Amino acid sequence: MRHLIPEFEAMKKRLPPGENGVLVLPCLKRIQEDRGYVADEDIDGLVEYLGVPRIQVEEVLSFYGMLRRAPIGRFHLQVCHNVSCSMHGAERLLDRLQSRLGIAPGQTTPDGRFTLSRVECLGSCGTAPVLMVNERYYELQSEPLLDVLLEELGKP
Amino acid sequence: MPTIYIDGRPVEAAEDQTVMQAARAAGVEIPHFCWHPALSVPGNCRICMVEVEGKGTDIACNMPVKAGMKVFTNSDEVVAHRKAILQLTLLNHPVDCGICDKAGECTLQDYHYRYNGEPSVSVDAKVPATKFNELSDRIVLDNERCILCSRCVRFTREVSGSNGLGIEHRADHSRVQPSSDGAFRGDPYSDNVVDLCPVGALLSRRFLYRSRVWYLEPTPSVCPGCERGCTINVWHRLEDWKLKSVATKENSRIARVTPLENPAVNGPWICNKGRDLADLFERPRTTQAKVGGRPAEIDEAVAAARRLIATATRPVALVSSWGSNEELEAFARHLGGRLACFVKADHRPREGEVLEDGLLIKAGKNPNSRRARELFGDAAPSFAPGTDLVLCWGEGFDPALLPAGAKLIVIGSFFDAATDRADVLLPASTQLERDGHYTNFEGVVSAFAACFPRPAGVADAEALFGLLAGEDAT
Repeated sequence: MRHLIPEFEAMKKRLPPGENGVLVLPCLKRIQEDRGYVADEDIDGLVEYLGVPRIQVEEVLSFYGMLRRAPIGRFHLQVCHNVSCSMHGAERLLDRLQSRLGIAPGQTTPDGRFTLSRVECLGSCGTAPVLMVNERYYELQSEPLLDVLLEELGKP
Repeated sequence: MPTIYIDGRPVEAAEDQTVMQAARAAGVEIPHFCWHPALSVPGNCRICMVEVEGKGTDIACNMPVKAGMKVFTNSDEVVAHRKAILQLTLLNHPVDCGICDKAGECTLQDYHYRYNGEPSVSVDAKVPATKFNELSDRIVLDNERCILCSRCVRFTREVSGSNGLGIEHRADHSRVQPSSDGAFRGDPYSDNVVDLCPVGALLSRRFLYRSRVWYLEPTPSVCPGCERGCTINVWHRLEDWKLKSVATKENSRIARVTPLENPAVNGPWICNKGRDLADLFERPRTTQAKVGGRPAEIDEAVAAARRLIATATRPVALVSSWGSNEELEAFARHLGGRLACFVKADHRPREGEVLEDGLLIKAGKNPNSRRARELFGDAAPSFAPGTDLVLCWGEGFDPALLPAGAKLIVIGSFFDAATDRADVLLPASTQLERDGHYTNFEGVVSAFAACFPRPAGVADAEALFGLLAGEDAT
């Protein structure tokens, strides 16, 4: 995380002194963008840099389910399974992905290329069913479209 | 000084007080879990609901007083709210009071009996959780009983400063957890969270399942662990409930030690060393007087010691810094003129012990050094050439330092190198077997009282001094 410190410094300037605890969340978010997850050494570095108690960082990490403590695959497929998406066949999409990739939700393919997740509402009910690949939305999905998508992502 | 009305009674409150504080000062107890007088106000438990005329209900712990406000702590609406909150608090609480160490002094149990007392209205099963979650080698957490009031978390942040605890995860999964860097394990004040816990979630492993609290009684005492002299309650078996056949040793053992709130010295806290006084007082005791290494009657030993003192040309006394004010004064009166007196440090810091911090712990590990030094001076013990007798009172004397040819009289409670080497050994009572006072490093005098009878063959040091001086010699 050391190379991110100049960015953190810029955030710090916008806060009154002694309010470093506020920076825990944005710093963790930035670390995760950078590394893909939050490693032990990132926690050590952040505790040292912000001067906050370690438990404060651990509380934030455990509270937010989207902060990861372990690496994931190159492509993170997040399939929404809330009401609208489920009514439009989200479970079928998940089944398809599971059989094509050979993994269950929460798992990563052995080649480290794909991680599959079942997630709560992605806020795009009007274009259900929806899945996210890393930071991009793929809306109005269907099984044939999924096959095209997997091909684009390099699935043999 | 605004006047407010609590249940119709006028109460003088300070400007910066909350309704909770003003009510407590006036002797009105408003139910509370998360609020604690020595901690910040989180307002998360909602049990301290009161009704303010014209304003509806709100929590008293976070409500500033306002002149003329009319507060009702027991109106129908308040009682209904309280009951509803208790239903919520008990939603996942196992109500396993029968096997809970806190039963009898648990505020949740008290409030449940007083304000609710009904079975859960929920049709869902209670969420199970870990019953034995080890937070440190001293403390376990029962996650099912925890009501997440966060008192313990705030204690480690606001008082002990270790930041050892936090609440991890969220909602039904929220758990009090220790920091992974071991800060809680290393917190020398960690046991206070057991007292702070309003339910039976945080439990002392020392006291775990040892006794129901209603079989115990507290005796006010003073912690001898350092010269702070924190006032404590030493809990031991009630007279009426002494065990008669099984485990009778429990009758004369310290069940637990809790702080005795004292704003002049320690506030509501004590350190972990104070909790471990049993380790200190339950060491092997000297109960047999000895002369020349052989068992002797106490009178015989006193006579032998008296002869040694009377015939010595250059006697030196090493005065205990664990003696009470009364004992030290008696020593000065009876023996101070006859012997060259030096104050001895009975205990030195143990390995790994916190030496001193900004909260309570002091570097001097003896309770009454101040009064002893006032009476006998600051000089470090030294033996002038020709010293032919050393009277050692208490622990901490290395007999290797004894001048060649000098005799050694020891008045002590516990075995050590000096009692083994003593020419005359006189067993003495401990702090738990007599009344007295200690003067702490700031000059505050605190009293301690006897909780156990003196074992056979043991005398009070105070009584020995007069005998040794030969003032009532036959």
